[in-house]
Amino acid sequence: MKRVYAIFTALLKSWLRSKIGIFFSFLFPVMLLIIFSTIFGGAGDTRYTLFVQNFDVENGEPTGLSQGFVDALEATDIFAIQYLDTDVDVSTYVKENPSFNFSYRILVIPKGFEEHAVNKSLSVRMDVTLDTLLLFQEQYAQYMDEADLQQIIEGQTILQQMKTTLPTDLSELVLLTDRGDTAAPAMTSVIYGVVNAFSNTLIGTEDVVAITGEPLEQKELRVVDYYLPGFIAAFIMTNGIIGANTTISEYRRDGQVKRLAATPLPKSSWVLGNILQQAVLAFILTGIMIILGWIIFGVRAFPDIYAILLIFVGAVAFCSVGMVLGGVIKDVEAASGAGNAIAFPMMFLSGAFWPIEMMPEYLQTVAKFLPLHYFHEGLRQLMIFDNPEKSVTAFVILGVFAVVFIAVAFKVTRWKEL
Amino acid sequence: MEKIVEVTELVKHYKSVIAVNGISFDVYKGEIFSLVGPNGAGKTTTVEILECLRMPTSGSAYVLGFDVKKEESKIKKRIGVMPQDFNTFERLTVKENVELIAKIYGVKPDIKAVLEELGIWEARDRKFEALSGGMKRRVGVSMALVSDPELLFLDEPTTGLDPQARRETWEVINRLKKMGKTIFLTSHYMEEVEYLSDRAAVIVQGDIIALETVNALISQYGGGVKVNVANGDKKVEGLFTELAETVISNERGVTGTFQTRQQASKALASVYRLSDEYTVDIVEPSMDDVFAQLVGGRVDERGELV
Repeated sequence: MKRVYAIFTALLKSWLRSKIGIFFSFLFPVMLLIIFSTIFGGAGDTRYTLFVQNFDVENGEPTGLSQGFVDALEATDIFAIQYLDTDVDVSTYVKENPSFNFSYRILVIPKGFEEHAVNKSLSVRMDVTLDTLLLFQEQYAQYMDEADLQQIIEGQTILQQMKTTLPTDLSELVLLTDRGDTAAPAMTSVIYGVVNAFSNTLIGTEDVVAITGEPLEQKELRVVDYYLPGFIAAFIMTNGIIGANTTISEYRRDGQVKRLAATPLPKSSWVLGNILQQAVLAFILTGIMIILGWIIFGVRAFPDIYAILLIFVGAVAFCSVGMVLGGVIKDVEAASGAGNAIAFPMMFLSGAFWPIEMMPEYLQTVAKFLPLHYFHEGLRQLMIFDNPEKSVTAFVILGVFAVVFIAVAFKVTRWKEL
Repeated sequence: MEKIVEVTELVKHYKSVIAVNGISFDVYKGEIFSLVGPNGAGKTTTVEILECLRMPTSGSAYVLGFDVKKEESKIKKRIGVMPQDFNTFERLTVKENVELIAKIYGVKPDIKAVLEELGIWEARDRKFEALSGGMKRRVGVSMALVSDPELLFLDEPTTGLDPQARRETWEVINRLKKMGKTIFLTSHYMEEVEYLSDRAAVIVQGDIIALETVNALISQYGGGVKVNVANGDKKVEGLFTELAETVISNERGVTGTFQTRQQASKALASVYRLSDEYTVDIVEPSMDDVFAQLVGGRVDERGELV
């Protein structure tokens, strides 16, 4: 163990003194974090983007009521409203401005929205008055004199005549969404709720439906948090398979391995010292990344003790894979090429950066054979959903993976040429 | 004399290439033994078999009485090694590198004494990568010495060094011998082998073609002592034809080759009896001549046979 520690500290010191090495070791994950958080995280905005095309304008200004309705939608804090001009052809606009971080949802407010709503409101009020008069008539007719009764009936007739001049159709809003947009029904119901509250206010009776914001008992997460476990897992995987692998083959090429092989240092101490150093390195870098993520993007999904443990097991597992590659492939360039060829497909196929359900079924099957898949799923269960029991699979798979690959690394690392 | 290394019929094949072709030799306690030959002759393969870094194809090799095939951990504990193209952790300091090796051997040496012995104590806190080639080799020697081994393997310790650094390394190796270490050296520099070694084995294409003390090699294969008379004339040529083995007369003057130094001295005296106007040089045979005689060529600076 003393020898493992001696190698470990020598390697760590050596790494800490490589200014360029440190720079790139940090640059890569930080770049990834920034790219993914910016693309997928929308800089921390968790609201749904809703495009509004308002045709209800007067003298170039939206009518008070239509603007009031949009303001009410925005006040729910569910929607981030963006306006589309009335001369924009919606389908052309969507085609010309493809988006990959949200699905287009467009609410069209028709011309005459305010007028319709006011008229409708008037007509509803008239109905209420008529009903009241009718009730009055039926229940209190016997206590009234003929003249008063006649006046009431005349009033009813006038009201009814006036009502016929008002339009009876509803002012119809249109919500355009993608057919595959699973969030659309939920959004429709939110908008419907706002419509409901809005109509009630217009009619002047008390609200039947109230929309108020109530916090649900949950972690306050941002979109970037969802990507964080996948990002950590992918980083640790590439660090092991590409980083550890290249380092080890460089040490062999540059003669340090031969120098140590000629001492009584057991091969296992060299292998373990390297795996440990790379794993600790990955571990430290992950910590720094999370801190940076917290400072820059307000990441809130901090790993708990189980997540920290899983990260460490994962780091050891993937560094062992790197040791195996570096042990089998003698040429540094070939080793780094092989590392890339394994790491990058694994990164994209495992569903680290997007829901696995987005991929074709056969690729989903492939993903389930990739250790990275279990790594980020396990981390997500721990960091996002607080489900330690659901991370057991990840611990088992990565643990077995680590043990197997450490054993293979012992086997393939050449201490003596045959 | 105590045998430190015993090699018998050692063979090493790399697929279809025969690197070492059944060589046998012994190394005795306290001597500097050199394996000399051009690149690709099998020097490093032989050394690395003895250092337990390679498995021999056949034959046997014992280092300090232990079998290289079966008792590598016992051997590795007792030897010190500086591999060819020696390198170590570049961003660690001299002291840290030496300490790392000490930790691996599980010894607590007086590192100051080791570094002072090699004249690199002043450079102890400098990173390895910042050192000159000569200093790096000295670090390599100190790393090989830190466990106080009985036997040191120095595989081409001065290749690529400038003449000044090479001389300094030679002094270091001579001091090691005085400390009582047995040194196994490989080199393609004939001058180095001649200056340092007690005995040398000339290896070419996997075969040892000569193995003697350096003096015996030179007297046997060096081709005799040459006496050159730069302004030599017919009289000198006549004299040499009588006394010398061979006589060459060209633009550099008249050169006679004599079997022994005494014969050469006699010839010299005779030349001066003819006239004291002659400019005379005595050229001693060297390992270069031995090598040329044995192999039919010379080795250039990079170790290639030309």
